[in-house]
Amino acid sequence: MSGGELPKSLLRAFASLGGFPRSQLRSIPSSRRGLNQSTPKYFSTGAIRRAETIDEVPRSNIAAPPISFSEDAQDIQKAEEQAQKLLKRLRVVPASASYFSAKPEATDDFVTLDTLLRKYSTLPVVPAGHAPRVAWKGLHHYKVKVNEPIGPARYARIVAILHRLNHIHPALMPEEVTTAMARFKRDINPHDIKPRPSVIDEWGRSKGVGRRKTSSAVAWLVEGEGEVLINGQTLAQKFGRLHDRESAVWALKSTQRLDKYNIFGLVKGGGVTGQAEAMALAVAKALLVQEPALKPALRRAGVVTRDPRKVERKKPGRIKARKMPTWVKR
Amino acid sequence: MPPSICLRRLSLAPSDLTAHAMASRSLLAYTQTTSFSHSASLSAKPGQGKPAGPARGERTLNLGKNKKVQRDMGKRPAPGERKALRKRVVLSNTNALVVEGLNDLTVSNIETGDMQGQVVGLSEPVIDQLRAVEAFKATQGWYLFRRPAMLMRKETAQLSALMGDVEAQKKTVRRILVGDRASGKSTLLLQGLAMAFMRKWVVINFPDAKDIVSAHTEYAPLPGSNPLQYTQNAYTANLLAQIAKANSAVLSTIVPSTDLRLPIPTTRKTTLADLAVLGSKNPELSWPIFNALWTELTQPGRPPIILAVDGLAHIMTPSAYLSAEAKPIHAHDLVVVRHFIDHLSGKSVLPNGGMVLAATSGSNQPASPALKFSVQLAEARAQGATDLPMWNPYELVDQRVMEVLTDVDTLKLHGLDKQDSRTIMEYYAASGMLRKQVDEPLVSHWWTLAGNGNIGELEKGSVKMRA
Repeated sequence: MSGGELPKSLLRAFASLGGFPRSQLRSIPSSRRGLNQSTPKYFSTGAIRRAETIDEVPRSNIAAPPISFSEDAQDIQKAEEQAQKLLKRLRVVPASASYFSAKPEATDDFVTLDTLLRKYSTLPVVPAGHAPRVAWKGLHHYKVKVNEPIGPARYARIVAILHRLNHIHPALMPEEVTTAMARFKRDINPHDIKPRPSVIDEWGRSKGVGRRKTSSAVAWLVEGEGEVLINGQTLAQKFGRLHDRESAVWALKSTQRLDKYNIFGLVKGGGVTGQAEAMALAVAKALLVQEPALKPALRRAGVVTRDPRKVERKKPGRIKARKMPTWVKR
Repeated sequence: MPPSICLRRLSLAPSDLTAHAMASRSLLAYTQTTSFSHSASLSAKPGQGKPAGPARGERTLNLGKNKKVQRDMGKRPAPGERKALRKRVVLSNTNALVVEGLNDLTVSNIETGDMQGQVVGLSEPVIDQLRAVEAFKATQGWYLFRRPAMLMRKETAQLSALMGDVEAQKKTVRRILVGDRASGKSTLLLQGLAMAFMRKWVVINFPDAKDIVSAHTEYAPLPGSNPLQYTQNAYTANLLAQIAKANSAVLSTIVPSTDLRLPIPTTRKTTLADLAVLGSKNPELSWPIFNALWTELTQPGRPPIILAVDGLAHIMTPSAYLSAEAKPIHAHDLVVVRHFIDHLSGKSVLPNGGMVLAATSGSNQPASPALKFSVQLAEARAQGATDLPMWNPYELVDQRVMEVLTDVDTLKLHGLDKQDSRTIMEYYAASGMLRKQVDEPLVSHWWTLAGNGNIGELEKGSVKMRA
């Protein structure tokens, strides 16, 4: 924004106000102290935010002051002169603290949330980890929204405040905070999506699905004597290595239930080891349906969490994922 | 240009040429009866082609760029030494403990079935006989224990019952032993042979079908055979030697009752054991002598016979031998194989009763789709399935194999049950080869990891791979 633009628009503003008493004009400087003023005083260059926050017609859209037909040109001129005099005494302070910043939106958001936090910091909170799980917008989404180049560290500070606000006791959660937080929530909260709990079917079978690398396995567990059939083959036929055989039934082995259940498995994709370890996860999931109390034991056995590691992709300009071509002098 | 060899052979036409109805075919047959070989060393004329290179150890001038440093490798193993090492069967482990209370297998406890589900030892004479017919395999775990012992499993009881039937009704039982890899097919075959030895049967065992068809022994067309068949004199002589050695107790009591009409003089005192020895020492006469021996064994009043082969798939494919037209000879055209197959298929019966056992192999088997299909069919038939599997008519199939295996039954080996697994693991522990307390969790652990009680995997996991 150029320097000459502000006085001009202010002049126009005063001109449109007409003969307002001085006391009303005085109230403008006081706006720098309070953010919660009822009159809209935010000025911002941010394109999106402006439309959201200012509920009146944006003044920048007004090309010229409204024409007053009742008064003559002399009165207008007098008012302009008065305004000129006034401007010599007044120091115009923008309502937003980030007015002179290149990235006002993000700063405004931070300030707003910080203010909210200070305002409601005395409200009781739930213990850590007991707040409703919320997926906040990611940095990328936020960047797109505010259209400003904000870094991860600054966004992390915003998220930290949001996290704290989210811990306010739900029964006492102020409406103001809820609406403020809503702006930062993802459109769909993935934590709200709960998988249907698996049940033991009429035949006494429980099903589990496991994955590892590019293999994917489905296992059905039924009470039995420890028979295993994977893709129609016995464990020894399916997995030549003893290690892989142990991996596949590790969930049962580690909980001393190898002779209590029969396993029927289907596994596809990937290699031998991947298939065996996918089977381990699938069997553990199926076992959890039969005996949910085994979850801590299975977690200690390492068959609850999916191993997310996969083959790293090859990149252009490299021979493999990371290997660089051999250096050649010329 | 006329083929000079054929014309020369024509001038030496044999006296029995006129005996054949179709002279032209006999002529053709005769021209093929000369021993021939397509091995490279004989077909190449001496003094032609590249020189074979300097003898080993000889110093030569080497000016090439890629000079290889000649290192002294020391003494190389003598011919056959490495093979002997590979084929060596060790039946005892002096480090293993002697298992107290290990009973031997005897005729009486076979018949009563007392030993069902127990580990039994083999007596010395039977071990010698089994060794003579090469029933022990180097890949089996005999070397782990103090002396050969085996679990009398359910399938063994089935086999034993079948043998009882054979003795009672003088019938011929034909079975293909099938099962997973390491499920104990060869061991069951060995158990069958052991029981046959104890029951004083005549045992003829082809220890590995691959040896018959792998073209490692000489072969020659059988004169006068139509379609042309091939004899393997060295192999047959060896087989006769094995028969003589293993069955000497039985065969030495039998004197030929028929006119053998052999081209070799025999005395009146010649027993069948002597006859077999004679055949083993005269390889060129081994096939006629084998035939004479077989004729004698099938006379009335002779003991039952057990014919056994391991690695059936090898004789259900074309062999590695080549005919005069350089075409592969089908395994069924080898007389030794033909003899076995005729009895397996039921074309020939054993008049004094007996058993024909053929074990498939899980680890060394050439692809034989016809055998695979026939086994599937036999299993479906045994289960009483209404919709039997059909061969895809758009795929080629070895019709000879299909015909041979049309109505052969199978004896399927399943995994051991938990009780049998426990018994065998207690034997491992008693031998000191499994240093753990054999209890329910350990047994069920290994039972599951061994693919629902596969005995070979059980041994591999709990004994061979122990840390």
